[in-house]
Amino acid sequence: MKKEYRPMALGFWGVAVPLAVFGILFCRTAAERVTVFLAAAIFFLVGTLIGRAKQ
Amino acid sequence: MLGFADWLFIAWYFVLSIGIGLYYSKKAGRSISEYFLGGRSLPWWLLGTSMVATSFSADTPLAVTGIVMKDGVSGNWFWWNFMLGGALTILFFAHLWRRAGVMTEVEFIDIRYSGRPAKFLRGFKALYLGVPISCITFGWVTLAMVKIIQAVFQTSATTAMVVCLGLTVIYTALSGLWGVVATDMLLFGVAMLGSIILAVVSVEKAGGIGAITAAATAVSARTGKDYLSVFPPLGQALPLAFFVAIFVQWWAVYYPGAEPGGGGWSAQRMLAARNPRHAVLGTLWFNIAHYVIRPWPWILTALAALALFPALAGAPAGVQEAAYPKMIAFLPRGIKGIVIASLFAAFMSTIESIVNLSGSFLLNDFYRPFIRRDASEKHYVMVSRLLVVAVSLLGAGVSLILGSVKMGWQVLMELSAGIGLVLLLRWYWWRVSAWSEISALGASAATAVYLRKFPGSPLVAALSSALERAGFKVDAWGVDIILIVAVTTVVWIAVTFLTPPDDRDKLLSFYRRVRPGGFWGPVARLNGRSYKLQAWPFLGWGLALVLILCSLFGVGRLVFADWGRGAAYIAAGAAAAVLLSRVINKIDWEGQ
Repeated sequence: MKKEYRPMALGFWGVAVPLAVFGILFCRTAAERVTVFLAAAIFFLVGTLIGRAKQ
Repeated sequence: MLGFADWLFIAWYFVLSIGIGLYYSKKAGRSISEYFLGGRSLPWWLLGTSMVATSFSADTPLAVTGIVMKDGVSGNWFWWNFMLGGALTILFFAHLWRRAGVMTEVEFIDIRYSGRPAKFLRGFKALYLGVPISCITFGWVTLAMVKIIQAVFQTSATTAMVVCLGLTVIYTALSGLWGVVATDMLLFGVAMLGSIILAVVSVEKAGGIGAITAAATAVSARTGKDYLSVFPPLGQALPLAFFVAIFVQWWAVYYPGAEPGGGGWSAQRMLAARNPRHAVLGTLWFNIAHYVIRPWPWILTALAALALFPALAGAPAGVQEAAYPKMIAFLPRGIKGIVIASLFAAFMSTIESIVNLSGSFLLNDFYRPFIRRDASEKHYVMVSRLLVVAVSLLGAGVSLILGSVKMGWQVLMELSAGIGLVLLLRWYWWRVSAWSEISALGASAATAVYLRKFPGSPLVAALSSALERAGFKVDAWGVDIILIVAVTTVVWIAVTFLTPPDDRDKLLSFYRRVRPGGFWGPVARLNGRSYKLQAWPFLGWGLALVLILCSLFGVGRLVFADWGRGAAYIAAGAAAAVLLSRVINKIDWEGQ
């Protein structure tokens, strides 16, 4: 992983994980759950893409 | 009230964003090029996201909520009109900024104009943009955040504000542009996350998309305005403000984030791009994210609020805007913290860019050329950090005396309402000189002040009645902008022809360095080779507009479950994107 991008990737993963946990714990309706899980997945994906970005 | 989980997420969000910012502090300390331009190494996706994060401040969702509640979805043309200028910047200016290779927007003056007027203009603009303009922008963004905190926490929340501002300023002062753009990346993600969650919950609370549509239709019938249409209100008496927005504002008005030809923080990011092509792609990504991705969650939240509280349709502007934070009450515990963190993210991403940019003007265009010329890089970085802190303190002071958010941006827009054309033409017409810019700035500010002081002057009355006879629904704002632009344009063009052109060597060196096309006849002859303005950028401008407009309308149709039309718009946008990518590949952005 490129050194300059590492904190950004970690930041996105750092939001994705609590988001998924909060989705399980606090979302009351299906729409809320889908939105939060989808967002968590997008954050995880963006973090991965940043981590794999080339020079 | 917030629960433990909400506070936990907010605290975690602060740890993450500040940690990212601080990570870059060592890198930023190497030189002022690293500090203000990230060593000119930014890829397009990072600089484009940073631009959109900066333009997304805490007051933006509130402003859009107010617009939708007052005039419906089409009211957004008040700011959507800037996409015309945005698309122009992508194709005609982004690569030129990067080729210019200057440190700041203001340093451009030094490579383009010659003599004492150029020196005066550089010093003046460094102070004007670095202190009053930055402080007014800082002040109105902070004021909006204070209002949000008051609405959400039901308290004055001064401590929360001071802590938030203090932390943001500390990591911004230490980490420079790399820290700013890296945190912007995460802050934009979190800010969008909050908007989307709030929109979903609000729509659910209002009874779903069908219920919102029915409620908006009922309000439309009551008020006579079409609340759901995205198209401009053509076919009836055209509101003058709308006409001005579509035909004048985008090329004439210098507005932070939508400067004609790029400027401010957007120019700073173009200058920090890895190469001219990255500057172009980054600006394209900014415009797509700015106009297509951002607005719909806010619009949906506003329409849901209208369905839940129909009386808001006729309420005062402040009350309408406050509907956005009011919707946060409907969020479940745990999720509320995410949305509040998203508002902090929007606020912080704007503040950090404002103070970094302002520091760059004051250091690079005032302190270094006029106060201390030959100090070490370490000294300049240290002074930059102090300037960032000083501007933040001043900006915080302005937020205490600023009457309202609207007052802040109105003052800004009016003072520089007529200078856009000179900013565009200075790249493409050799005859524009420092005097042209000085006279445009002076005429624009003087006319704005005159109109504020004498709102009922015979000139205003005559223009208003002429416009009324022409079939417009006249308002003071539209009349003022037309007058400011007309006076400024006449003044700067006259001054341009009445004053001598810039020094030949200066023009030649600029022409060789930036390689613009356009009206450079005498300079091109001196150079022995001319750079032509080709047809491709014009085609690209049209395609970029089709791409942005169709995607904006397409997403709008899809969120209202109008699948057929939504898919058609998206398909048209995708076709424009394919053609635009071909055009972009055809153009030689290095201009060799």
